[in-house]
Amino acid sequence: MSGLWIGVLGFAGLLVLMALRVPIAVAMIVSALVGYGWLAGLTPLLAHLKTAPYSLFSGYSLSVIPLFVLMGMFASEAGMSAALFRAADAWLGHRKGGLAMATIVGCAAFGAICGSSVATAATMAQVALPEMRRYGYSGAISTGTLAVGGTLGILVPPSVILVVYGLICEQNIAKLFAAAFIPGILATLGYLVAIAIYVRRNPSAAPAAARSTPEQRRRGLIEIWPVVAIFVIVVGGLYAGIFTPTEGAAVGAFLTFILALMKRALGWNRLKRALILTAETSGMIFLILLGADLFNSFLALSHLPDALASTISGLDLPPYLVMLAIMAIYIVLGCVMDELSMILLTLPILFPIVMGLDFGLPRAEVGIWFGILVLTVVGIGLVAPPVGLNVYVISGMARDVPMSETFRGVMPYLCADAVRVFYLVAFPSVSLWLVRFLG
Amino acid sequence: MAESSADHSRLGRVLEQGSTALALAGGLVLTALMLMSIASIGGRWLFSKPLPGDFEMVEIGTGLAIFLFLPTCQLHGANVIVDFFTTGLSRRGQSWLDAFGGLLYTLVAALFAWRLVFGGLDYLRYGEKTMILGLPLWWSFVLIIPAAAWLALVTAYTTLRHVQAAQR
Repeated sequence: MSGLWIGVLGFAGLLVLMALRVPIAVAMIVSALVGYGWLAGLTPLLAHLKTAPYSLFSGYSLSVIPLFVLMGMFASEAGMSAALFRAADAWLGHRKGGLAMATIVGCAAFGAICGSSVATAATMAQVALPEMRRYGYSGAISTGTLAVGGTLGILVPPSVILVVYGLICEQNIAKLFAAAFIPGILATLGYLVAIAIYVRRNPSAAPAAARSTPEQRRRGLIEIWPVVAIFVIVVGGLYAGIFTPTEGAAVGAFLTFILALMKRALGWNRLKRALILTAETSGMIFLILLGADLFNSFLALSHLPDALASTISGLDLPPYLVMLAIMAIYIVLGCVMDELSMILLTLPILFPIVMGLDFGLPRAEVGIWFGILVLTVVGIGLVAPPVGLNVYVISGMARDVPMSETFRGVMPYLCADAVRVFYLVAFPSVSLWLVRFLG
Repeated sequence: MAESSADHSRLGRVLEQGSTALALAGGLVLTALMLMSIASIGGRWLFSKPLPGDFEMVEIGTGLAIFLFLPTCQLHGANVIVDFFTTGLSRRGQSWLDAFGGLLYTLVAALFAWRLVFGGLDYLRYGEKTMILGLPLWWSFVLIIPAAAWLALVTAYTTLRHVQAAQR
């Protein structure tokens, strides 16, 4: 049997194992081991395994991930979402749908110090959910807003998904963060417009809350400046080349930790919880990274990725059509599987295909732009039915709202997302403008 | 039967406490790396003198921390699965599948622990050292191999729990 067919079989075996509830990372490892052993033989496989897990876990570039996770956990355990939500609430709360708008803006701001969508959704829910229910917001809109707002945790830099993309595809992480900035703001504005349109049609779903005094508004702004400062230091320092991504994440985690201590918000128990949650999330991410690494070593042996890339570029399809098709594949895949595993499995195959197409852009820019597009569809996958990780998390917290209600609440935002995906595909300069401007 | 389940819960408590201790140790390693990076950046900026070997320390520390994190991750069910295709199954059927997944993970974890022993021995035999500080690499394997073995133990336990749930 040729290597190509073994590669295809390996993929099929992986999909079957995943469908049978085997943890995704384990499914990748098992199919990779079988395939690798088949293609290369047992002795090389056993020799490869002597150091493969250690070499991967101890790679310098990957160390940025647990540190960004730690930063986000410090921020969420210290309840920094509360200050951000209150500040946004003071300015927006008195409008119809204002608390939902405040939730979105608060999530976007929290996303600037947290790179994880689940952490953003969960921590913002603790403050925003009781507030929205108190003012009589419908279950659909309050939970839907939180699930969608959580995705701003990754859409706004720093972003763990974007870091993973940068590492896999060998793209500059500072440039990726800069490129994600404007699309992140666009996402936020798009969601605000979606709320405004939704409440015009369903006024009773999101009544106006109390108006804040000018004093409260001023105090709100004073509360959020440290968060802005941390964001500027981390992303700015990264961009200016003052530190490596790992060091940037260390600085961010450190500043967030200091801020939490100054607010006296991080006692021993919360600190312990932050460390345990960091362990769970980092362990989960690295096991998937290991699975994907082994699986991709196997795929490379089978030459399947090269063969697919040359076939697709040989078809001479219109590049933008191929890009839209890739986005469609991601949205469909994201409906049933975990987003991190999805991009880790597909990028080794899809990235060479994309880089082989001519979009009328320099190759370096295509790599950055594609990263932003992948990030966008990952965000959609986190909230789109039937399987949306963020929706699960929020449903777990809002016991009185059925999950179907939450998915219903997500719908208006998905319309905004659809517009944004189309816009970002059609106009690469939206993602690339800031990168070009900063040089 | 009641007695054996009490035994399992005692075993479960030991595994939980042990895994928590490992995860916290890993968290402290990570926090130490964070502080060391700050010190190194500060040294580089103020005196143009970074800490020597800071990158190596980060590498060794992260490698160790991740191995310490994995048992807690498995014990708390944080490893993601696709449940889309099996929602129609009975709870019992799902538990059997989860036991199957747990069994695969146990085999993988045991395989890793076994191979890491030889990886560590290779490093020891060839006297493999880091570039700048000259730290011997086999040293971290002394901590990593037990952590990997503990992971295999934890995965075996979670598999057993799924089998019990399937039989209930």
